[in-house]
Amino acid sequence: MAEYAIEIEHLVKRFDNLTAVNDVSLNIRRGEIFGLLGPNGAGKSTTLNMVLGLLSPTSGRVLVNGTDMHTNPYAARNEMGIVTQETVVEPELTAEQNLMIFGRLYHIPEPELRKNIDFALGLADLTSFRNAYAGTFSGGMKRRLETAKSLMHAPSVILLDEPTTGLDIQNRTKIWDLLRDINKNQNVTILLTTQYLEEADQLCDRIGIIDHGRLIALGTPTELRQKIGMNSVIEISADREVLQKVADVFRKIGLEPKILTNKVVAPAGSAATKKIEMLIKELSARKVQIHNISMHEPTIDDVFLKLTGSEVRDTTGDYVGGRAGFMMGRVR
Amino acid sequence: MGLVGDTYTLLLREMLIFKKNFKVSVARSLMFPLIFILLLGSFGSALKNVPVAVVNHDYGLTALNFINALQLGNSLRVVQETTQQQAMDLLSRGTVAAVIVIPNGFSKSLADSNIYVYLDNSQPQAAAVVSSQVKLSAATVGTTAALDGLPSADPTTPSVITNYAYGASSNYLSFVVGGLLVMVASFGAVFTSGFTLLSDRQMGNLKAFLTTPINEFSILLSKILYGTFQSIFSAYIGLAIGLMYGASIAAGIVGFFELIWIIFLVGLGFSALAIALATRTTQLQTYALMAQTVTMPLAFLGGAFVPVSLLPNFLLPFVAVNPLTYAVNAVRDIMIKGYLPMYTLISTSAILLVFTSVMVGLAFILFKDTSKQI
Repeated sequence: MAEYAIEIEHLVKRFDNLTAVNDVSLNIRRGEIFGLLGPNGAGKSTTLNMVLGLLSPTSGRVLVNGTDMHTNPYAARNEMGIVTQETVVEPELTAEQNLMIFGRLYHIPEPELRKNIDFALGLADLTSFRNAYAGTFSGGMKRRLETAKSLMHAPSVILLDEPTTGLDIQNRTKIWDLLRDINKNQNVTILLTTQYLEEADQLCDRIGIIDHGRLIALGTPTELRQKIGMNSVIEISADREVLQKVADVFRKIGLEPKILTNKVVAPAGSAATKKIEMLIKELSARKVQIHNISMHEPTIDDVFLKLTGSEVRDTTGDYVGGRAGFMMGRVR
Repeated sequence: MGLVGDTYTLLLREMLIFKKNFKVSVARSLMFPLIFILLLGSFGSALKNVPVAVVNHDYGLTALNFINALQLGNSLRVVQETTQQQAMDLLSRGTVAAVIVIPNGFSKSLADSNIYVYLDNSQPQAAAVVSSQVKLSAATVGTTAALDGLPSADPTTPSVITNYAYGASSNYLSFVVGGLLVMVASFGAVFTSGFTLLSDRQMGNLKAFLTTPINEFSILLSKILYGTFQSIFSAYIGLAIGLMYGASIAAGIVGFFELIWIIFLVGLGFSALAIALATRTTQLQTYALMAQTVTMPLAFLGGAFVPVSLLPNFLLPFVAVNPLTYAVNAVRDIMIKGYLPMYTLISTSAILLVFTSVMVGLAFILFKDTSKQI
């Protein structure tokens, strides 16, 4: 038994004139839930595809339970379950048939297969929909079926690429519960990417942030917050036209503001209340109209913003299209 | 498990989906044969009752006998006109396919009387029917018919005895159905295996398959086998419709099994071709365009619609290298001639198998090249 569930060693992926992943090293511990964050086009999906063995790295290597993914892919894949970003369930097949096909593709012997299907259906809370066609399922049910499908062959690691994107809060909570359940009870290591930062915050034991192909931060959510030295965050929302003026006020009292779509935020540093007072005074002196001023504990959103300079949800990947599309990590 | 087991599993998946969509599959397989047989299959029967205008300036007994002879066998429908001018008007309007003029004095002196026939050769098939029927009728009354005003130099008409060596019971329908089977088989293959591969790629299924510990080749193989199954399925629906409509398999029950073999080979080769094409694009629309660009000319040049002998010379090299040519010939031998020589069976199988192997090899190389690009 290797010490780490997944070891990523000096991973580099270069496309013609673009380095998508630049020397990423990362060890994922046995039994942890690890979240990989990053803006679109940051190299997140490229990294994940190399871990899945779908892309060969330019240099570096990936070990799954000590087995090299690129020299021994079949053995490595047997250790791993995958939930891709697109919900891959076949709508023309029943829940049971979906599970059966993938169980067979993982070469589970026949008597065991039957048991595993029952188990997976129970896990996904779909036992009563065993013979219903997956095409009739809601988005959340499909997602659960897919997650259960990736656990059919009792892998020690599962990878989830944005498992809750597009789900409502109720279904998202159900998926979280499912992930916590398998993490705790089956001792499955989980590596997930997400664009919901609060999800990473609540669910993950550790978080890694990738930007421009490099791993720029790694640690528990609490560690990350402390590491960037942010005590509190001051946030002022106002009309778009005056955001620049608000930012000037921030600068005047010695803060470093970031302008977002409808608000300006800045880490407060020490003596936060004092600074709010100064801000309000200065704003009214300059007759700048604002909607709201608030102060809160830093969230992963703020950490992310500070480190990458962008809001994770407000960016979209460039549509590169056609066969070049994969280079940018993901094409929507 | 290995390659065979993985291929079986993936094929099982396609079959379960096929079973779920059985009605749609049948309906889709019905479309082509129905349209083609209804439109093209009645080609032969359209050449009954070809309208012709007869202008009789003679009124003698021989002239009447001649007109009666024209109407024998229902291949011509005679309209009598009093003046040549009226008749020619009908011809120019396309109401009749020919004008036949019987000169005055025709009954009295047969030896130096010519029947004049004016043909509209913009409908060559109808024109051919008219001229053969006129010749036949003229022979019965012992005169010659001159086409386009050129009097025949030969006053006596030798009798012609025709015997069919092969295909005595053949009609254009059997010809159409034979070509149709091959066309439906190749289209069925191209439009299932390629489309399922592309939709699997778009839906993310391909990525999911590739992350399981299976042999990549089994994905290709299952698609090729499914395409082959679909082409046999479509071809046999086509055959059933054709047989109900009046076509026949001259080679009988043996021919039925020989047909399965030929269709199987066509399906195999074209499914592999489809996979090779499908690796070149990610868009269904682009694929549909590519597939049509490749399959339509191949079906045409293979003689599925018109006999290869009617094609212009510059196309003949393409006919010779087209695997469908050989498949169509073999199918026509089975359905019309009633006898597939062992030599033809072996050479056709060899040609189709070589085509299949080249396409499978190509599909595999191209798939290996692009499968990682999810």
